[in-house]
Amino acid sequence: MKFIKNHLMFILPLMAILLGIEFYLVFDRTTDSYEKGLKEGYSMFVVSSIPMELDSFKERNAHIENVEAIKRQDVVNDIVKGISKENEKEILGALPYFYNIRLDAYVNTSELEKIKSDLKEDPNIKRVETFGSSYSSAYRLFSFIKFILKLFIGFMAIVSLFLIIKQMEIWKYSHKQRMQVMEIFGAPLMLRSGILFKVAVIDAIFATMITAFIFLYVKFQWAAESGIEIMMKNQENLFRLSDIGILLGAALLIVIVAVYSVVFSSSGVEE
Amino acid sequence: MSNVINASRLTLAYDNGRKEIIKNANFTIKKGEFVFITGPSGSGKSTLLKALYGALKPTGGNLIVGAHDLATIRTGKLQELRTHLGIIFQDYKLVNEWTVAKNVILPLMIAGYSVDVQNTQAQRLLKHVRLTEHAERYPLELSGGEQQRVGVARALAKNPVVILADEPTGNLDDYSSNVIWDLMENACQQLETTVLVVTHKIPTIFSLPYRHFIIESKGVYEVH
Repeated sequence: MKFIKNHLMFILPLMAILLGIEFYLVFDRTTDSYEKGLKEGYSMFVVSSIPMELDSFKERNAHIENVEAIKRQDVVNDIVKGISKENEKEILGALPYFYNIRLDAYVNTSELEKIKSDLKEDPNIKRVETFGSSYSSAYRLFSFIKFILKLFIGFMAIVSLFLIIKQMEIWKYSHKQRMQVMEIFGAPLMLRSGILFKVAVIDAIFATMITAFIFLYVKFQWAAESGIEIMMKNQENLFRLSDIGILLGAALLIVIVAVYSVVFSSSGVEE
Repeated sequence: MSNVINASRLTLAYDNGRKEIIKNANFTIKKGEFVFITGPSGSGKSTLLKALYGALKPTGGNLIVGAHDLATIRTGKLQELRTHLGIIFQDYKLVNEWTVAKNVILPLMIAGYSVDVQNTQAQRLLKHVRLTEHAERYPLELSGGEQQRVGVARALAKNPVVILADEPTGNLDDYSSNVIWDLMENACQQLETTVLVVTHKIPTIFSLPYRHFIIESKGVYEVH
């Protein structure tokens, strides 16, 4: 019973950290695809007195990825109903050039303002419409959700780290005598900490396996059958095979730091 | 005979040199000698022993054990040196979660001997200290005298060049004390091991010739 308790006391906080890491990975992938959707759905509107090419826009700001010219004839067609052909021609001649501009990333509002002012520096550009208010509210909501989740994951990691440190103190207490005796008789560090490493590495593997199993279950069972659209749409992002490597790497890193902290704080012969 | 331990102008101190325990001590100990170190409580007997197994670095002078100067020794060399020492403590310092047999073979484990050699040696050593029947028991199941015999067996496991004993009979009754002295005398006589014992009182029945150092007023003096 004590043996199981000792292992669980290390596995559970380690799992909490791994769950946090995996949540972060999943969230990052999901927000990436969401951000891509937002980026693709967003365009700026530019009015210019002369026809312009993509390169001239790019010269102004590197975030500009694509430019789509709005056909002037289509604009005229919308406004010339009941007007003579001659007047229509006159309107077409006086009409400026309209462009939809797409960006390479979902930038923040200050960056958006900078793009606007960069474009306005061109004397031929008469007007730039960023649709700032709708962009800003979508961006703020997105940033807020991102921040809250990262905060939660960070908080979870800190609490778990404290639990691991607590467990390390218990380990330190229970292994101190053995490690000190071994040190007195000349055992090198690796031999002194060998048993501790073995136990901790096994725990790290267990914690990784359990975490991976939870996410695999969510991906293949729960998400597929949940009927929740966002889950089903992002099913692929929920867990990837490469995540096992990341989780195991993180778990082993935590284990190495934890074990060495015990070993070094236990070294030195007692008075 | 060659010197095994050589101290010249040795100074030992705690608190980053602020609290001096031994100052400018000079002595040499040869191979196969049995040495008692006595002195009043707090005089620095155990401190000297700690310095001899590298748990306390000299703050001045030199302390050479074997071929290593403990004032300048590096961690790797210190570990190597310790594998040639047998150390016995008043509080035994056994690993309580290990069996008696495993405690005894610790120096052999550290030296990387095969499991077969370890097992054979464990049987031999436990027979030598008359604890064969306790091989699979745990230290806390034994009496103080028996635990110290385990400590002696462990110290002898790798035929050490030097045995350092810190009040080895301090917690034992007369019978157990005599058994421990016998074991250490045998090691010194038969294996030519240098034995250095810190004690309050030199045993009244002791058959071997020995040297006697006394630590007093920060100095180490030989009693003739």
